[in-house]
Amino acid sequence: MSTKHSVAAGRFLKGDRAVWHDETLWMVRAKRDAMSHSLPEWEQLRDAAAAIKNYSNSHLADLLEEFERNATAAGVHVHWASDAEEFCATVADILEAHGAKHLVKSKSMLAEECGLTPYLEARGIEAAETDLGERILQLMHQRPSHIVLPAIHLRKEEIGDLFRREGMHVDPGNNDQTYLTHAARRDWRHKFLEADAAMTGCNFAVAETGECVVCTNEGNAEMGTSQPKLQITAFGLEKVVPDRRSLGVFTRLLARSATGQPVTTYTAHYRKPRPGGELHFIIVDNGRTDILASPDHVKMLNCLRCGACMNTCPVYRRSGGHSYTYFIPGPVGINLGMLKDPARYSDNVSACSLCHSCQDVCPAKIDLAEQIYKWRQVLDGYGVASAAKKHLSQALEWVIDHPHLFGAAVRNAHLVNSLPHWLMYNRLNEWGKEHDMMHFPHESFSEMWKRGKVMPARTNKENDGEKD
Amino acid sequence: MEKKTDSREAILARIRRNTQRVYERPDLSALEQAAIHYDDRVEQFRKVMHQMGGRAVLVQPGDDLNELIRQQYPDARRVASALDRVEVCGREQALTCPTFHPDSVACSRDLDGTDLAIVRGSWGVCENGAVWIAADVEQRAVYFIAEALAIVLDRNCLVDNMHEAYRRIDTGAYGFGVFISGPSKTADIEQALVFGAHGAADVTVFLV
Amino acid sequence: MSVGLFIPCYVNAVFPQVGVAAYKLLTFLGQDVVCPEGQTCCGQPMANAGFEDGAVQAAQHFESLFAGCDYVVGPSASCVAFVRGHYGDLLARGGREHFCAAEGRVYDICEYLHDVVRPESLPSIFPHKVSLQNSCHGVRLLHLSSPSERNVPYYNKLRDLLSLVRGCEVVEPERRDECCGFGGMFAVEEHAVSGRMGRDKVRRHMATGAEYITGADSSCLMHQNGIIAREKWPIKTIHIVEILAAGL
Repeated sequence: MSTKHSVAAGRFLKGDRAVWHDETLWMVRAKRDAMSHSLPEWEQLRDAAAAIKNYSNSHLADLLEEFERNATAAGVHVHWASDAEEFCATVADILEAHGAKHLVKSKSMLAEECGLTPYLEARGIEAAETDLGERILQLMHQRPSHIVLPAIHLRKEEIGDLFRREGMHVDPGNNDQTYLTHAARRDWRHKFLEADAAMTGCNFAVAETGECVVCTNEGNAEMGTSQPKLQITAFGLEKVVPDRRSLGVFTRLLARSATGQPVTTYTAHYRKPRPGGELHFIIVDNGRTDILASPDHVKMLNCLRCGACMNTCPVYRRSGGHSYTYFIPGPVGINLGMLKDPARYSDNVSACSLCHSCQDVCPAKIDLAEQIYKWRQVLDGYGVASAAKKHLSQALEWVIDHPHLFGAAVRNAHLVNSLPHWLMYNRLNEWGKEHDMMHFPHESFSEMWKRGKVMPARTNKENDGEKD
Repeated sequence: MEKKTDSREAILARIRRNTQRVYERPDLSALEQAAIHYDDRVEQFRKVMHQMGGRAVLVQPGDDLNELIRQQYPDARRVASALDRVEVCGREQALTCPTFHPDSVACSRDLDGTDLAIVRGSWGVCENGAVWIAADVEQRAVYFIAEALAIVLDRNCLVDNMHEAYRRIDTGAYGFGVFISGPSKTADIEQALVFGAHGAADVTVFLV
Repeated sequence: MSVGLFIPCYVNAVFPQVGVAAYKLLTFLGQDVVCPEGQTCCGQPMANAGFEDGAVQAAQHFESLFAGCDYVVGPSASCVAFVRGHYGDLLARGGREHFCAAEGRVYDICEYLHDVVRPESLPSIFPHKVSLQNSCHGVRLLHLSSPSERNVPYYNKLRDLLSLVRGCEVVEPERRDECCGFGGMFAVEEHAVSGRMGRDKVRRHMATGAEYITGADSSCLMHQNGIIAREKWPIKTIHIVEILAAGL
């Protein structure tokens, strides 16, 4: 009864990176906790963020139309894309219309979701990542293992070696993080300067002003969009918020939840094209309107992509991002994967002990664990529930439906104690891998009760009486 | 072109069809009232700037701002600024340390190699060190490409939190504005915090 | 006023002494306790594994067993949280109403003692250092203590109750309410992660110097107990009611 996640997680735990991974991400959570405790109004902020998202996501059509109206009035080209294919084609068409061959892009989960980079490459357009971690992964041909800390699974030695292989000006044997970061700053600057176009994702699209807001720490999105005069900014349609007043709420929560900083270094507001330039906003659906129709899962559209649920998840921290089969790991990824394609991404649903910590850190109060519970209920319908798990549950169910047999089963439980160790461990094989078998007493509570062996205590009053 | 219009209509129709429960717009005023505030904003701003990896310098009456900037950045050779006069503690000073105007370059890549950019901030936020900068030049690269950034900010323009800030900001004629809180940074290599990823590696806010 | 004693299946089969202690404690505090015969599993293991339908009959059975009780009290936060949170839905499918939860009658025993009975003293003595197992469902679903993720004032109902026990020194481990990795079927399906979580948890309990790990959930304790036995580590587990009833 192993899912792909459980097998991959087992492998990850055998590696020598597991403890570091858990402790490092726990440290990020601890920083987030400290930040949340520094604001007395923290829980109120979360309530407000959830309420704004609930409002926005139930008024999407009006807000997107308002956004489009205002953006268009400011000279921005607004595009709509129903799916990944149309989104990629829209980007490629804009770039080709300008003869753009070199695109610098900042981190965008949407572009990742839609497979934009390979699509552009196939059309002869280079899409260079500019976020340090994303660029490292692009050069290594790897996928991110965390949505905010994409290269968290790599060691500095691997990165130093990569830089040297890439012919960057890096001394042999020097893998100091500051040294490597500054080498990347120096050596990759020309990418920005030579780019024909820049592309960014978007954290918030503001209906009231028709502007897109992008948050980064590195300044890579801002550097990119201030060099070439052609800018494309794309967002999933749930990124729209009513007004700047709502930004007051979200910008206070985002970085504090994500990395435990009071705010990201840069919070850029793009409202008009640069003089002599063009600004294109692309509004993407790609399955989001289907999520709207699902009352059990509509709250996934509240997600700010802060990654806090991943940092707190005891399973994610101990299994690493690459053990999940969807490109977004952790509690958020389990749910988004199932919404994308339940038959394909069901292997991640096991990666949850239902501890509910994710729900407590989520700045937009998404019921992540409850949704995972609900996904488990429908796995059988997709034909992907584990057979062994199903049998075990059916056996339990049968026993429960026959209380007298339950009694018998419990009565015989003590026999387990006298069974040979190896036999026992084969019967409950997976439990036996981590635990010694529990000791079953010779008498269950119900037997003791029947035989009058469960005695009441002398009450307080009786004791008081005795004293008198 | 027709296809794009179809998608727009189709998406809007799907949204309208699929939206189930409709929620009211929340009233944020209680939260905004309760939001954190500071008795000594200047002190808090200095503290948080330090925490963010930058610094805030409180300019005293009689101080020469040019002198303070040169002291902070003695090695800066190419100094970009669109400012020529700055009001320091109620008295106007000529800003003489810049060596060129950012819009004097032929194209934005010519700004590469700028040692220091001196820019005007509109509002500073005490809870997080963010300073609102509304683009006042065509070459907005100047805010990001210089090695160091000096932000001139009126000390009376410090607000407590982002709610306050968002009530006041504007993106201006160029339709671009940015909150900048300290130097550019990354922790992408083993979670080790490093300043100077792609943007300015050093940020000083001069509170005038 | 009658209190129905809810004995979860693994308490019945593996930890009968927890049921005995719960009965003693409640009767000592003057509660009129009944313990319906024929109790089975509450259905949570199947439901959490994805077979909620299989729990419907468990819910119906539970409902009829405890129909006459004013309160239903069980020594297991997780099972109580399941009854409280899910029986309404499950019974509605079978066309019935959920009297127990609808009227707020299902309590974890710690919650019941702390919020309803409110004893000011207990004669119990337990001269040992214990480390609190703040179990996930106890913390985040039943609010037995303040979750470390939330910006709310610290409280811990288990600690409050243990403060009534003479000689008992109470500590909490580092990462005070991180999951121990039990999670029912999770412990089997994701055994490698579950085992690591369990070992990490027990190590943190041991680092406090405590002699016992104690909490409101026998399931978490059973999981950690299996790990302790396997690793031959010098710490024991004990359900909180056994401490509260020590010496009664």
